[in-house]
Amino acid sequence: MAEHKVLLAGTDEHDLTQLAEYRAIGGYRGVEKARAMTPDELIDELQRATLRGRGGAGFPMGRKASLIDRKSAKPKYLVVNADESEPGAFKDREVMARAPHRLIEGCLISAHAIESRDVFIYIRGEYLTEYEILTAAVEQAREAGILGDVQITVHRGAGAYICGEETAMLESLEGKRGQPRPRPPFPPIQGLYMAPTQINNVCTIATVPVILELGAEEFAKTGVPSSPGTAIFSISGNVVRPGNYELDLGTPMRELIYEHAGGVAGGRELKAVVPGGSSVPALTPDQIDVPLDYDSLGAIGTFFGAASLIVVDDRCCMVQLALRSTKFYMHESCGKCTPCRVGTRWMVQILESIENGTATHADLDLLDNIGDNILGKVLCALGEFAVYPVASYLHKWRDEFVAHIEQGGCPFHGSSSLDGILAPSDQHAQTPVGEEALV
Amino acid sequence: MSFYDEVQELRGRYPEDSRSAVLPALRLAQEKHGWLSREALEETADALEVTPAFCYSVATFYDMLHLEPVGRHTIDVCTNLPCALCGAQSVVEAFESELGIRAGETTADGEITLRAVECLGGCGYATVVAVDDRYRQHVTAETVPEIVGEIDG
Amino acid sequence: MSTELVRVTIDERDVHVPKGTGIVETALAAGVEIPVFCYEPRLGAPIGACRMCLVEVEGMPKLQTGCTLTAQDGMVVKTARTSTRAAQGQNGTLEFILVNHPLDCPVCDKGGECPLQDLTFRYGPGNTRMSFDKLTFEKPVPISPTISLDRERCILCYRCTRFSESVSEDGQLVAANRGALSVITTFEDVPYTGAFTGNVTELCPVGALLPTQYRFEGRPWEIVDVPTVCGLCPVGCNVHATVREGKVKRILSRNHPEIDEGWICDKGRFAFTHLRAEDRLTQPLQRVRRHGLEPVSWEQAVDEAERLLRGARGRIVTALSGSETVEHAYALGKLLRVGLDSHQAMLPEEISGGLDAYRLPLSAIRDADVVVVLGDVPIVERAPVVDLWIKAARRNGARVVDDANDPAVAEAERVVLVWSGPGGRGGSTVAKLAEKLGLAGREGCGAFYLPETPNGRGVADAWAACCDEEGEAVESIGLLVVSGDEAAADENVRALAEQAEATIVLSMFGGLSAGWADLVLPGTGYLERDGTFVNLEGRLQRLRRTVDPPCPDELEWIAQLAARFEVDVAPYTAAVFAEVSERVYGGLAFGEVGERAPLRGYPEAPERIGREALPEPPQKARRGEIRLVAYRPLFSGAAVERVTELQFQRPQPELELSADDARRRKIATGDLVTVGSNGSAITLPARVNRRLRAGIARVALEHANGLHGVVEVAKAEAEVTA
Ligand SMILES: Cc1cc2nc3c(=O)[nH]c(=O)nc-3n(C[C@H](O)[C@H](O)[C@H](O)COP(=O)(O)O)c2cc1C
Ligand code: SF4
Ligand code: FES
Repeated sequence: MAEHKVLLAGTDEHDLTQLAEYRAIGGYRGVEKARAMTPDELIDELQRATLRGRGGAGFPMGRKASLIDRKSAKPKYLVVNADESEPGAFKDREVMARAPHRLIEGCLISAHAIESRDVFIYIRGEYLTEYEILTAAVEQAREAGILGDVQITVHRGAGAYICGEETAMLESLEGKRGQPRPRPPFPPIQGLYMAPTQINNVCTIATVPVILELGAEEFAKTGVPSSPGTAIFSISGNVVRPGNYELDLGTPMRELIYEHAGGVAGGRELKAVVPGGSSVPALTPDQIDVPLDYDSLGAIGTFFGAASLIVVDDRCCMVQLALRSTKFYMHESCGKCTPCRVGTRWMVQILESIENGTATHADLDLLDNIGDNILGKVLCALGEFAVYPVASYLHKWRDEFVAHIEQGGCPFHGSSSLDGILAPSDQHAQTPVGEEALV
Repeated sequence: MSFYDEVQELRGRYPEDSRSAVLPALRLAQEKHGWLSREALEETADALEVTPAFCYSVATFYDMLHLEPVGRHTIDVCTNLPCALCGAQSVVEAFESELGIRAGETTADGEITLRAVECLGGCGYATVVAVDDRYRQHVTAETVPEIVGEIDG
Repeated sequence: MSTELVRVTIDERDVHVPKGTGIVETALAAGVEIPVFCYEPRLGAPIGACRMCLVEVEGMPKLQTGCTLTAQDGMVVKTARTSTRAAQGQNGTLEFILVNHPLDCPVCDKGGECPLQDLTFRYGPGNTRMSFDKLTFEKPVPISPTISLDRERCILCYRCTRFSESVSEDGQLVAANRGALSVITTFEDVPYTGAFTGNVTELCPVGALLPTQYRFEGRPWEIVDVPTVCGLCPVGCNVHATVREGKVKRILSRNHPEIDEGWICDKGRFAFTHLRAEDRLTQPLQRVRRHGLEPVSWEQAVDEAERLLRGARGRIVTALSGSETVEHAYALGKLLRVGLDSHQAMLPEEISGGLDAYRLPLSAIRDADVVVVLGDVPIVERAPVVDLWIKAARRNGARVVDDANDPAVAEAERVVLVWSGPGGRGGSTVAKLAEKLGLAGREGCGAFYLPETPNGRGVADAWAACCDEEGEAVESIGLLVVSGDEAAADENVRALAEQAEATIVLSMFGGLSAGWADLVLPGTGYLERDGTFVNLEGRLQRLRRTVDPPCPDELEWIAQLAARFEVDVAPYTAAVFAEVSERVYGGLAFGEVGERAPLRGYPEAPERIGREALPEPPQKARRGEIRLVAYRPLFSGAAVERVTELQFQRPQPELELSADDARRRKIATGDLVTVGSNGSAITLPARVNRRLRAGIARVALEHANGLHGVVEVAKAEAEVTA
C-alpha cells in the first residue's frame, strides 16, 4: 500500500509553511467549523473520532478533553508536546517543519473545545530551525487574525529528554527543573500553573483538523477500528531508505520495513526491531508481521510508543545495544525518584561488566531483578523505559549475554556495529558540582 | 535594549508571578556571555527576581545550558542508537582527528567545542551533527573535513 | 479536606477518616506505620520521590505511594505487612537507597537517631548485591559555618531543598545536575545564609546535613533531650536541649503546632554555645579602689550588695532586660519594692496589655484571609517564626497587605494584624486599630505586636504584681540595679549609671559590665533556668533547667538578700511562681503550665509599668522624604556576639532602599550612598528592595551610627570602585 498522507498532505506539492498555500489547499476551514460548534459538541465530535494520542500512551484525545475541568474559575491551558526526544523519533519535527499551520489549526480547534485561550507549544531546544518556522507561522496566523483571542506561545526546551513526560513538561514550562509530578492530581484537573490543562503530542493535535474536515465518522473508518487514522512512522537504523512514512494504522510492520524503507541495508540479516522508539521491548524477525497499531503491538508484548522503528541488523551486539540504550536513560533520568536514579546507573555498571567479560551468570539475574525493582515502582515511566528494552534483549538474546560471560568478553571481538560507541555520559569535560566519575 | 529589559519582555509573555521566563532568560544570558558564568547567573537572577541558586539549579538540569566555558562554535554529534548503528562513532573520530581534541573538549584557541550528544531527532538522516545548533544530516567521516573547513573559514 | 468521613481498609482493619486524608495518616489511624523518607507534610504537597512508602491498592495494577495517595471511600490498602508485592517493592527501594550510601554509621553523628538506619534495621536486606563503585564525593563540605553536607550520605529526598524553596522561601539550598549526578548545593561558594537554615539539619533523614557544632559531640545513648523553651526572642519556640555530661550540645525543635510548627531560627538553634563563652562570669566581681573589678566570694558579694542596697533605700532604680523569668523579676521586685521601698523600674520597651482581647495562637496567621503587616522593622529580625507563618499564609492564598485601609481588609472574614515596630506602644496602637476594624470576638481575627524582648510582658506583670504600693518617683539615683545583659548593653542604661551613685550589674558576661559597675553578680542563661516566660501571644510557657549554671541561680541570692531585709522570698521557682500566679495567672499551679502550653487568658493581670520607656510615635515621612528605620537584627546581642560560627549571619553594612526612592535618586544596588541628618552622616552601599515601601530606608542598628528618623539619602560623590 502506498503512503497515505493526511498530516503531511500537500507537503510535497506546496510550501505549507506559507499561510497562503496552506489556505489554498483548504487550510483553516476546520477552525471555522469548530468555532461554529459549542465546546460540548466539539468534544463530542472528538470523542467519536477516537483519535488516540500519538505521544506514546495512546490515550484517546477526545476523552482527555472531556476530563478538563471546564467549570474551574482558572484559565484552561492547552500544551502541545513538541519535545520529541525519544531515540528513533523524528516525526513531530517533520510536521512542524513542513506543515506548521496544520498544527496551529489543531491547536485552535482543541483550544476551542476546552475553552482555552492560552496555548503553549513546548518544543525541544535542539529544534532551532523548526522553532523558527513555527514561530513565523504563528506570527502569520496572528497577523491574519486567525488566532482570534487565543494566544499561542512557542516555548523552547533546553535539552532534557524527561521534559517530554507531561508533568515534567509542565514543571519545566513553569520555569523549574523538569521533574515529573506525582499523579493524581492529573493535568486535566490541576496542570500548568495549577489550572486545568490538556497535553497532547504534535501529531495528535495536527490530526484534529483532519477530523473536522472528514467528520468523526469518516475519520473513525480510516486505519483500524481500535486505532483510527494514519500515523507518521519514523524508521531508522539499518534500512535502505530510512525516513518518515505516513501510513494507515494497521499497516503490517513488514511492509514498512521491506517495502517503504527498502529492507535491511547492505543485504544483511534482520536481527531486531525496536518498534516504538528505543524505550520499548524489541521484536525478533519472526514477529514483524504484526499490524502497526496500538493493540496489535500491545498483544505481542511491546508498545506502539512513538511510532518509531529502529531496525537493527546482525552486526550488532545486543549487550552493546543494551548498554548504549541504558546510558541514555541514565543520562536522562531526572534524579527525582530513587529506583530510576540509582537503578539506571547500576544497570549500566552491570552491562559494562557483562560487555567487558567480568560478569558472572548471577549478574544476569541481578540485572533482571533490578529491572523488576524499577518497573512499576517509579514516579514516571522513564525508569521503565530504561528497563523494557534491556529486559527484552536479555530474554530474547540471552545466548549472546551468556556468551559474553562464558567467553570472558564480547563475542563480536570488535566487529559489532556499535563497537566503541561514545555516550555523552562518558564525556567528562563538563564537571558539574560535586561530580566524580559517573560510572 | 538592556538585558534587564529584555528579560522583562520575556516575563511579559507568561502569567504574572510565574517563573516561566527562566529558560528563555538563561538562554539569553548564555548568548550574551557565551556560557552561564557566575556573573551571568547573578544577572539573570536579578532580572527575574529569583536567587542565583535557583537559576543555577535550573541551568544544571538542562544539557543545552553551559555551566563551563564552551568554544565560540559547538559541534554536537549524535551518538544515540540510530546514528550509532549507522556509523556515528566514525564521525566522532573523524572530528576528533580533524580538530585534534577529544569529544567533550574545546580546541586550544577556544574556537570549537566537540561533543557527543544524545538523540537529536534526525535518526532517519544519520549521522546527525548540529553545528551551532543547525543540523547537518547524513554526515560521514568523509564529509567531516568540509564541515570543519566551513567553520574555520 | 472535607469533613465527609470515608471508610478505608488498611491491612484488613477498617478506619474512618475525613475524605482526602493522606494514606500515611490513614494507616497511622489504623495503627499501621508506612515507612517514609521524602514525605513531610510540613513541606507542602507530597512529591513521591523516594518510593519508600509503596503500598498495594485494590483495583490499581501498580503499587502506589502512600504519601501521595488520599483516602477515598471503600479503598482497600495493603502495606508491606500484608502484601508481598508491597514488601518486595519496599525492599527493592531500600536496596536502591543503600546502593550509594556509605554505611559509615559508626562515625556518623546521626547514628542511633537516623531514620535510614532504623528502617534498614527493620526492613532492609542483610547484605548488598552492589559490587561496583559507589558514587563518591568530597566529604563533608561546609555549606555554611554552621552546617556541613556529606553528599555521599544524601539520599536525595529533597526535604532540605523543599524547605528552602517553600517554607523559608530563601531559595538558596537547591538541587543541581540531573539523574545520578544530582546533588544538593548552594550557589557557588556562597554559604547558606538566613534566619532558618538550621532546620534542614533536622529535616534530613540521614546524616548528610549536620550541624557543625555537634560534629562528634555525642552519641544517642550518652545524651538526654530536655524539653524547654527558647529564650532569645518573644516567640518562645519550644525546643529540646541535647545535654551530655552537663553541657548543652545542641538545640532541637520541639514542635508546638500553634507556635512554631517545629521550625526554629538559627539564633535559637546555634547561639547556645554562648553559655560557655570565654568571658562568662562565674564569680562575682567587686570594684576595688585603683584596682578595678576583682573577683570576690559569694558571701562577700552578698554582703556588699546588702550594703549598697541599704545605703540607697528608696532611691534605687532597676533596669530590667525583659529576659528575666517571671520568677526572677518577681523576686527581685519584691526585694526592692517591699524590702527597700524602691518602685521605679524601666524596661527597654513599653509593654501593654491592650491586645489581650485580640489574642490568637500564631498558627492562626496561616489560616487568615488577610494579614496586615504594619511597621517597618523586618518581622524576621524581631520574631523570626512569625515570618514563616506569614509566608505560609501567603502560600495558602492569603493577601498580605501593609495598609489597614486596604479594601481587602473590609471584605475578608479572617483578618490578622501584625505590628512590627518601631513604635506601637507595646501593642496598644495595634489594639486600637483592631478595635476600629471590629475584630474583637470575630473567629480567626486577632492582632499581634512583636516586642523586642523575649519576656517583657511576663517581667512587667511580675514586677507589677509583687507589691501593692506605687511609691514615688526617684529624684536622685542612689543605686542602679541593672538586671541582665540586654539592659547592661543598653546605652540609656549606661547613661543612667553615670548619674547613679553606685551600680550593681547582673550579667552573664564580663565584657559588658567591666569598668562601670561597682558590683557584678554573675547571671544565668535561659537554658540554665527553671521558670516561666510569657511570649508575644501572651502564652505562659515553662523554661526548664537543662544544665546547671556555673554560678548560683538568681533566686538563691535574691532570697538570701531578701531575708536580710525581712522580705519573704522562697529560693524555689515553684513557690515563687505560686505567689505570682495567685495574683496574675489565676492560681495556676507551676506543674500545670504544661510541656506544650496552651494559650490561656489571665484576666486578673494588674496594671503595667514601663511608661518611662514610651517611644515617640513615628512621624510619617512627607513626600520624597526618607525615614530611616534602624532595626535590631536577629543576629545581634550578647549571645550571638559570642558564637564564632554565627558571625557570618550578621547583617551586611548596607542601606536598604525602596525601588521608588532608589529610582528617584538614580541609585542602584551596590552604589555607595551617604545617609545623613543633623550634620552626621554615614556612607554605605545601597541595596534596592522592591518590597520595601517608599519613604522608608532600613539599616541594621549596628551600622546606623546613631542615625534614625528623617534622613537625607544621596549617591556618594566619589565612588570607590576598582
Ligand atoms: C520519559 C517520557 C518521555 C516522553 N516524551 C514524550 C515526547 O517527547 N513527546 C510526546 O509527545 N510524548 C512524550 N511522552 C508522553 C507524554 O507524557 C504524554 O503521554 C503525551 O504527551 C500525551 O500526548 P498524547 O495523548 O497526544 O499522546 C513521554 C513520556 C515519558 C514518560
Ligand atoms: S522515573 Fe526517572 S525520570 Fe521519572 S521521576 Fe523517577 S527519576 Fe525522574
Ligand atoms: S515517602 Fe512516599 S515517596 Fe517518599
